Amino acid sequence: MLSPQEWDVLGLSLRVALASVGLSLPAAIAMGWLLARREFRGKLLLDGLCHLPLVLPPVVTGYVLLLAFGRRGWFGPVLDALGVTLAFDWKGAVLASAVVAFPLALRAVRLAIEEVDPRLEGVARTLGAGPWRVFFTVTLRLAAPGLWVGALLAFARSLGEFGATITFVANIAGQTRTIPAAIYTFLNQPGGEDAALRLVWISVAVSLAALLGSEWAARRARGRQEMR
Amino acid sequence: MTLADVPPNLSPMSRSRPRRHRAAGWILLLALANLPARAEPVTIFAAASLGGALSELWPPHRHPDVSLSFAGSSMLARQIDAGAPADLFLSASQDWMDYLQARGRIDMTSRIDLLGNRLVIIAPQGEGFELTLQPDTDIGAAFDGRLALGDPDHVPAGIYARQALQALGWWPALADRLAPASDVRAALVWVERGECAAGIVYATDAAASRNVEVVTTIPDSLHAPIRYPAALVSRRSTASTRRWLDTLRSAAARAVFRRHGFTLLTASE
Repeated sequence: MLSPQEWDVLGLSLRVALASVGLSLPAAIAMGWLLARREFRGKLLLDGLCHLPLVLPPVVTGYVLLLAFGRRGWFGPVLDALGVTLAFDWKGAVLASAVVAFPLALRAVRLAIEEVDPRLEGVARTLGAGPWRVFFTVTLRLAAPGLWVGALLAFARSLGEFGATITFVANIAGQTRTIPAAIYTFLNQPGGEDAALRLVWISVAVSLAALLGSEWAARRARGRQEMR
Repeated sequence: MTLADVPPNLSPMSRSRPRRHRAAGWILLLALANLPARAEPVTIFAAASLGGALSELWPPHRHPDVSLSFAGSSMLARQIDAGAPADLFLSASQDWMDYLQARGRIDMTSRIDLLGNRLVIIAPQGEGFELTLQPDTDIGAAFDGRLALGDPDHVPAGIYARQALQALGWWPALADRLAPASDVRAALVWVERGECAAGIVYATDAAASRNVEVVTTIPDSLHAPIRYPAALVSRRSTASTRRWLDTLRSAAARAVFRRHGFTLLTASE
């Protein structure tokens, strides 16, 4: 049904989007907890900075990533020493997607953590659980439906990421040519409409499947809580 | 309601500063008097690589009658095909002009090849390298990392670049080492930033940047001729728009294009 090239594009897109969730969700959980549970100086500023990728044009985000993580970027030497190449590599596409998806995941996760009754955490502490145990067995467990929503939003945003990615890591078949980049390529070829349309349908199908899957997971998580 | 809907006499400036307003009116009148009698406004869709030259020819603040819209030729062609209100189309590739012509969207009698361009191999400023354009050159060892260029799958500059690399027999060695950009200016940025040690862009792009140097110019025998066709959009083909097209061949326009590094393909008016 799909051509080998289409499988390549789809596989790469899924790989990048999943890795992007893997990168942005833990960061969103840590930051979400900090913003939901702690008061400190500069919190508003930190909140604003976290949301910047949501409001900046993706091209700007991509250019800033190039300035920061390019071969000659601010962190270029550090990455070099670690043997990590991001520029023009699929790992760079993951970073671009994760940065753009982070604020969306953060919003969902933060709301979910704020919803958790702190008294339950307090009770767990008085029963002898350490702070990490409380965090993982009470806070995160109760916030699970929100985490699923955050993961889905990050996944969906990553799947659709285009502007920051193409600016930071180009449009290299097999490395960084994800579904949106492939659609863009086809639309820029005279007579490429049909090929582009096929990819449009593929991306609609994948996005819909992700939405339904996440809804199902969130319901299950909620159901489990109510049973308890 | 948008700003344009506000009647001009409601603007606070005009009431509080009548004298300055009148002076501005005189200046505007003088400016208009300086224009040839073709004051009918025009909307020009032009390939991104023409941005510098056309903005210099018709600075927006001095030519409110000229609306310039710059983007990739493909994007503009699709917009015109969808009925965008363009009068004049300047394309960086024959393919997209052919596309519109086949669909009857341009007045084919008005179509001319206006400008030519050259391809150059560039490096970040101060990091140029020796390169002989010969098939036996070990191009793989000539530079590190990736070669920045317009995406050879759709960007005209990249398509020409691929033709040249194939003609030189360098394509197999470089095919896996490309950094294909969404347009030729993005490729230029990667070389400017040193992300890529080499790139292929138009001579006009290289001339517009202080942060790259030209390693060598690619002979135009190695690729299809680079031509920028211009044509009037079918529904907008009038005496007035035709005069705007003629303006692009005027001595003033030719001087600007030449200064930006284009070659001129039309005889002067």
